[in-house]
Amino acid sequence: MDDDRGRRADLMPAAVDSGLRAGGAGAASARSDMARRRFLIGVATVGMAAAVRPQLLLADTLVIPNAEGFLLVDMKKCQGCGTCMMMCSLAHTGEASYSLSRIQIQQDSFASWPNDIHMAQCHQCPDAPCVQVCPVTPVKANKPNPKFGNVRMIDQDLCIGCQMCIGACPFIPSRIQWNPGIGRSQKCDLCVDTPHLGAKGGPGGVQACVQSCPVGAIAFTRDMPKTNTEASYTKDLRGPVWKKLGMTTE
Amino acid sequence: MALYGYAGKILRLDLTNRKAMVLDTERYKSWGGGHGLGAALFWEFCKDKTIKDGRHPANVCCVAASAVCGTGVPSATGRTEVVGVGVGYDGINWFTRSGFGGRFSTMLKYAGWDAIVIEGKADKPVWIDIRNESVVIRDASGLWGKDTWATQLDIWKLIGIETGTHTGWVALDDLKDAPKRESGDAGRTTQKPAIVAIGPAGEKSGHGALIHDAGNGAGQGGFGSVWGSKNLKAISVIGTGSVKVANPMALIQARQALKTKYITSYEAPDFRQWSRVGGLAKPLTQAPIPTEDRRPQACQGCVNGCRSRSNLGYGNESACQETFWYNEFAQKVAKSPNEMGELSLKVADLCQKYGINTFVLQPGLPWLEHLHEAGLLGPGKKIPSSLPWEKLGTLEFAEKFVRALATGTDIGRDLADGFVPGARKWGREVDLRTGALQFSYWGCAEHGYDPRAELEWGYGSIMGDRDTNTHCFNFMFTTVSAALAYALPIRVDAKELVEIQARKLVPYAKDRPEVFDFSDRNMYSEAVAQLVRWQQHYCRFWKNSALFCDLKWPDLINTNTPNLEGATGSDDAGEHVFWNAVTGDKLSLADGIRLGRRIWNLDNAIWTLQGRHRDIVQFAPYIYDTKYEKNELFPFYMWPCRDEKGNWAYTDLMGRSIDRKGFEAWKTTFYRLEGWDTKTGWPTERTLAELDLGFVVDALKSAGRLGKERAA
Repeated sequence: MDDDRGRRADLMPAAVDSGLRAGGAGAASARSDMARRRFLIGVATVGMAAAVRPQLLLADTLVIPNAEGFLLVDMKKCQGCGTCMMMCSLAHTGEASYSLSRIQIQQDSFASWPNDIHMAQCHQCPDAPCVQVCPVTPVKANKPNPKFGNVRMIDQDLCIGCQMCIGACPFIPSRIQWNPGIGRSQKCDLCVDTPHLGAKGGPGGVQACVQSCPVGAIAFTRDMPKTNTEASYTKDLRGPVWKKLGMTTE
Repeated sequence: MALYGYAGKILRLDLTNRKAMVLDTERYKSWGGGHGLGAALFWEFCKDKTIKDGRHPANVCCVAASAVCGTGVPSATGRTEVVGVGVGYDGINWFTRSGFGGRFSTMLKYAGWDAIVIEGKADKPVWIDIRNESVVIRDASGLWGKDTWATQLDIWKLIGIETGTHTGWVALDDLKDAPKRESGDAGRTTQKPAIVAIGPAGEKSGHGALIHDAGNGAGQGGFGSVWGSKNLKAISVIGTGSVKVANPMALIQARQALKTKYITSYEAPDFRQWSRVGGLAKPLTQAPIPTEDRRPQACQGCVNGCRSRSNLGYGNESACQETFWYNEFAQKVAKSPNEMGELSLKVADLCQKYGINTFVLQPGLPWLEHLHEAGLLGPGKKIPSSLPWEKLGTLEFAEKFVRALATGTDIGRDLADGFVPGARKWGREVDLRTGALQFSYWGCAEHGYDPRAELEWGYGSIMGDRDTNTHCFNFMFTTVSAALAYALPIRVDAKELVEIQARKLVPYAKDRPEVFDFSDRNMYSEAVAQLVRWQQHYCRFWKNSALFCDLKWPDLINTNTPNLEGATGSDDAGEHVFWNAVTGDKLSLADGIRLGRRIWNLDNAIWTLQGRHRDIVQFAPYIYDTKYEKNELFPFYMWPCRDEKGNWAYTDLMGRSIDRKGFEAWKTTFYRLEGWDTKTGWPTERTLAELDLGFVVDALKSAGRLGKERAA
């Protein structure tokens, strides 16, 4: 797999892109109207943030401690059942949903293996562009949490809903989700804040997606992948049993 | 108070007047969802319940999810139920059902809908475009005539959805033709719309299936033809919402209990485990898949996917019967197992695209071959057909054959209303007496589980509306027979098996293992009647209404657990545990079965209005007149039976027929147990009142079809 397959070629200004990639050329007109509207909202939000802290827009890159936990996936193994998405959403919010899931499993029923499924999990990026771009002051809403292995977490009480983190994520689809119900962004916290999980989450604990995956296509690791690419965050999790079931381990 | 598990709204579509209306789900909650909900909606909105063909404009077709759809309940989250009067059988096409897996019901719930009621008939072809609360009836003239896959891909394009997987978040407000919004945000998704479509078979024949994605199909019932008659090409739904769950932690924990206790592990698997839910993901594809470069593929929420997608570009998502029906012919042509696999899987693709009910093809094609070999069918013969019969077994023949059936051309013209009506047109009723045409109940194709051997299947089908297609118990014979065929160990002996399973048979047959005795001396017994009742009632609620998957549930016996007891009815991972976690209800397994009885009785009230009477509840003549004989390579139909001394053993049940008198006596017993009029089979006022179905009494009374109480 191409290392940069899921990485955006163009890092558009967050306020313009807002993490949205509507499909199809014919949607361009509507998309352009909506993008413009969001641009104005974004400008207004950033403007407010800059007024509070004028140096924000010129700030240097923050030095962020590495996270101490990561999710690895096996896109050749996933059975596309969506269980991880529903369990993720349930564990965090008590509601089952695709759109509120911190991990996204994308399928094209008419494509062939292995290009029929894409597993999109948060990388807990070392440089964490989503953290870098968070305009909230004096304490960022999106930041590493030292109590939980520096997992990058969005504090819903602090989030102002500017969506800049959604646009800053370098991957497609963005690994930050927009929750329109509360007007806030959200992201994978390795299940640190999961009131409905019934178990301790976070690094060293349980992750709803890992726990629930019926075929074991998602794994937790404390070892940071070598590069921040989809290829590095992908691991062959199949093993000899998979082979015995008549499916490839290559 | 939140209506946990439900989206809260039902979409009522009047195609004749092109109107979309909204019903409140709460009013129908007591039906659970799926079949129960659909039957209740059919009862309310179908104004002529005497119709005998699903293509009648008065027919109402309901597509329904359940409370657990979209929640992550294992092997239940992704099922969708379809009900209405069917097409393609013989004489009276009963009010019937079908179902399919995949993502549709999950997406429907996330869009905010629990069910769709389809009424009337559009004047021109239409498709339905659902995006959350927005519902638009759109022109389908550009889609009509296209196959089911092309239709779905075209709709993606019409909506503005890209193909492929590495796509970004899509805002519903940014899609093509998105409704204008004053404020707020319709939400975003990374998912494709879930679409159910019909193909040429639905447009032009009585064999139409509904197809969703590449390989989820509702074939039996002919609902593709029902949609075709309504000029309805497809329903597309995309949703960005969520489903509120009453006790999410209980749901997560029950799912975990199922995984760790009842399902064999990938770390140390027991490949030969006996259970329904407890295996590893493995395609049920019944032709060799000629590659290892593949994955299992599952419906939403499933614990072990039963289909596959490979790198081959064919056969993706097809499994079970559609990959099997042509094998008998393909193996005569194919030079290797891989070639046969390729052939059968490509034929499965053809069927998915044409949107045809493959069940009719399985006994149908051997019968046509028989007519051809007898010199009755072919070019210039009494039954003219220009199909290349000399190429039977090839892909070319299959394509031409499926196309003829789907488009009502060649022999498909006479078979368009069903194989049995077709046989009658050709003067071949004799074939229903000899068994050359194995359509054993209601003009419906025999499933492959012959009623003469497998009683619960046959009885359940003839007391119902079509091939019952419920695998609650038949795993016993398939597992035991496969073990004998492949010299695998018999994991549980017959006595232990029936005793363990009987522990779960509340409320009718708990601890009555004799209900599994299918020996000649017990085949017309009250015990077997109780087993059939349990299966039909269990299925009407837990499978057809709550929408637990037929291939995984019930889990009565399970060699992955220390005491061999399956998940069904258990306190940690039983069906009711999941249901209650989602809804906040306090149902027991038996409560669900009682609800199933209520739904089954509503079905019977509809069948009664359609014209059912005990006298016509009969198998095809060959079931009585001939013995079930097939060339056995190994003891094929192994079923637990007791001998004269009461000892249990797995026993081959080939070689017998059903006795007419015995079956009549069994029917009387069954009707008595159900509380139906033993003379007519019609519901009685007392039973209806007992089941809180008093609202159907007046309709039955005015039709002169309310059952009477009879002395025992």
